[in-house]
Amino acid sequence: MLDANKVKNRISQVLAIPSEKVTDEAILQELVMDSFILIDMVIDLQNTFNVRLNQEDLIPVKTVGDLINVLNSKG
Amino acid sequence: MKLEALTENQRWLLSFYRTSEISGALFFGRLAKSLPPGPIQTDLTKHFADESQHSWYWTRCLQNLGVEPIKLETAYQDQYISAAGMPANIMEVLGITLVFEKRVIGQYALHRQAKDLHPEIKSTLDLIVEDEKWHIEWVTQALKNMEAEYGKDHIDKTLKNFSDADKEVYQKTVKEHEERISGILKF
Repeated sequence: MLDANKVKNRISQVLAIPSEKVTDEAILQELVMDSFILIDMVIDLQNTFNVRLNQEDLIPVKTVGDLINVLNSKG
Repeated sequence: MKLEALTENQRWLLSFYRTSEISGALFFGRLAKSLPPGPIQTDLTKHFADESQHSWYWTRCLQNLGVEPIKLETAYQDQYISAAGMPANIMEVLGITLVFEKRVIGQYALHRQAKDLHPEIKSTLDLIVEDEKWHIEWVTQALKNMEAEYGKDHIDKTLKNFSDADKEVYQKTVKEHEERISGILKF
C-alpha cells in the first residue's frame, strides 16, 4: 500500500505547486492544464513508486485520489 | 529562379512548424529530466536537443526571409491527447512519438516537393529531415527492446491506436487550415 501523503508530496514537487492544493478531491486537469506535463508527472510517479500503469488505467482517473487508488491497485 | 517574398500563409505554416518543434522540445526536456539514467534517457536527451535546434532553425529561416514568427497558441501534437488518450508509461510515450515523427517526416517531405520552394526553406527542411530519420531509428529500436517487457502484441496494438488517432488529427488539421496550406502543399 502506497503512502498517500508521499504520493501527494511527489505530485506537489513535480508540478511545483503548493502541497495544500494536492488534495484527494483535486482534479488533475485543474492542477495542471498542460496534458504533456501531466504525462511527465504520471511517468515520474511510476518511476518513484515502482508501479506501472497503462493508458486504460487512466481512463477513469479524474482526481488525485483516483490516481492514488489506481497506483495502489497496480502496486 | 525568381524568389518571391514569403506570403502570409507561408509565414503561418513555418510558424506552425516552429511551434510544434518547441512543444516537442518542452515535452522531451521534461521527460529527459525525470527519467532514470539509461539508454532511453540518453537518446531522449539528444532528441530534446534536436527539437530545440529545429525550433531555432525555423526561427532563423523566418528571420532570413524577412519576417517574424507568428505566435500560435496550440501545437499540432496538443490534439493527440484528446484523440488518442493520454499515454501512461514510457512505452506508450515512445509509441505516440514514433507515430508523430513519421507524420513530421512525411509532412516535411511533402513540403520539400512544393513548387518554387524558396532555397532557405529547402535547406531548413533538409537539415531537419536528417535528424528526423535518426529519431525514427532510435524510437523504433527502443520499442523493439521493450518487447520482452511489454509484449510485442501490446506494443503493436498501442501503435495502431496512436496511428489511427494521428490520421484523424492530420485530416482535421488539414481541413481546418485548408485555405492557408492548399496553395503551398499538394495532397
